[in-house]
Amino acid sequence: MALLPANPQWRSLVLLAIIIVVLGVLPWTVNNYWLRIATGALMWAGLACSWNMLGGYAGYINFGQSAFFGLGAYVTAFLMSDPFGLAFPVTIPAGMVVTALCAVIIGAPTLRLRGAYFAIATWAFAEVLIQFSSAMDFTGGIGGIGLPPYLNERFFYFAMFGAAALTYLLTWALFERSRFGLKVKALRDHEPAAEAMGINTALVKLQTFVLSAVTASVFGAIFAYWVTFINPKSVFGGDITDQMVVMVLLGGLGTLWGPAIGGVALFGVNRLIWMYWGDTAFYIAILGTAIVLVVLFLPNGIAGLFERRKQNALDKVLDKLVGSGEGGHP
Amino acid sequence: MSGGMQPAADPILSVRGLFKHFGGIKAANGVELAVGRHEIAGLIGPNGCGKSTLFSLVSGAVMPDKGEICFDGRAVGGMSAHRIARLGLARTFQIPALFDNMTVTENLLAAAAEGHWRGASERAAETLSLLKLEHVADNRASDLSGGQQKLLEFGRAVVRQASLILLDEVTAGVHPNIRKIILEAIARLREQGVSFLVIEHDMEMVRNVCDRIIVMDSGRVVTSGAFEDIVRNSEVMQTYLGHPQ
Repeated sequence: MALLPANPQWRSLVLLAIIIVVLGVLPWTVNNYWLRIATGALMWAGLACSWNMLGGYAGYINFGQSAFFGLGAYVTAFLMSDPFGLAFPVTIPAGMVVTALCAVIIGAPTLRLRGAYFAIATWAFAEVLIQFSSAMDFTGGIGGIGLPPYLNERFFYFAMFGAAALTYLLTWALFERSRFGLKVKALRDHEPAAEAMGINTALVKLQTFVLSAVTASVFGAIFAYWVTFINPKSVFGGDITDQMVVMVLLGGLGTLWGPAIGGVALFGVNRLIWMYWGDTAFYIAILGTAIVLVVLFLPNGIAGLFERRKQNALDKVLDKLVGSGEGGHP
Repeated sequence: MSGGMQPAADPILSVRGLFKHFGGIKAANGVELAVGRHEIAGLIGPNGCGKSTLFSLVSGAVMPDKGEICFDGRAVGGMSAHRIARLGLARTFQIPALFDNMTVTENLLAAAAEGHWRGASERAAETLSLLKLEHVADNRASDLSGGQQKLLEFGRAVVRQASLILLDEVTAGVHPNIRKIILEAIARLREQGVSFLVIEHDMEMVRNVCDRIIVMDSGRVVTSGAFEDIVRNSEVMQTYLGHPQ
């Protein structure tokens, strides 16, 4: 009996529709505790995807992505608190604009660097923002800023769901299905050759950097309103970027679904550890172990494993389910 | 430039007094050359004489210290590589510089991504057919054999619809069948109006394909002319072929 369509594209669409329906009805099937975990998983899946735009598709390892997450969070916190008191939806585009400007200013010079030099430059930018926001009064200094509470878990769940869905849709459309994506992947694989093909690599890198930064800022804005209090370490901290990096490496660098797989898997492990052992440093050890295992055994991440096997076991199973695959059976 | 057959009065590429020094190494030491429209010019010379550096200078990958480079009537010296490429100049690299993690088709589409995007898929399909790469169209570039990689790199230049293609040892170390495919493609493209400047060490290929030979040594052009004139030139024999006749 045919459970899924034979055409791989239709098969993907049906699977995607199932995921969307499950995520859509989830808030009415679980309690607030699990809903908060689902909200966090969506946030990390989205953040990992934002990091993957530059790190995975363009090959530029950014260790300062938390800077843009934090900028989105701080702009929302700043504009929602006194004396502005603006509505939350207004603060998101404001944060995107501020983040885009910062990304252009930082990206233009640093994207001339490659490898470790670029990674260090972006990490330094995030550190500068930690110091800056700790020292300034208008950011609340080291004590941080509180936001007006809005105790509606479903609202934040759907806000994160919407942001994550848009981030993945954007990534799919731009990096997997457009000539912009071809340019980005070309410069990742061989920058001088990409230039020789007429690709303005400096511009394409900057566009990708800004896109990656702006999407991270949206998650920062929602996060700030969700947790109702932020301080420099909680939104600019290096551990936020570290987690994005490990999630993408685990899931699959430069793949569409890798960041979602890695994000959900690692955040799930994080919450499980928290449930059973409380707030320990055990998660850091898990992160370190995950990096070592991925580098040694899964250089293309979980998504790469899936890619490799899908022509074998998975396709055989699915072909049996659907009756006849491509090429047809007698 | 001394003696021999000269290029057309309206060259597609002309280089005058081009200098590029890397520390004490004079990679280009006053290069003077021209490539005519629809011409296939061969560039020969001993290893390290500055042939590949000249390609990098002309294509904008390396900035010249001094000198003029005119492509299709425009001064392009000091212009960035992507701007020169958009004017219609394409090049290959001595060691194939492919987009390794992309498929063969994606490599071709990426090459066409900047410029004439409309019809890019059809051009990519035509190029696959021209270079007989259809059977590996969905393979990753890194999975190709050395010869297929050379073909693909050439194909990227073809799909760009360039008016001048710089080929850097495109047939070096490839199987005779692949070499035949490349030579046939060059001939066909020339009929369509494409000009070529070809770095090559294989004298048989140079003789069969090139209209004119340009000889370089120590960062400058020693002479240029028809193959028969070049092989009779004692200076060339001494500096390049190494056995005066």
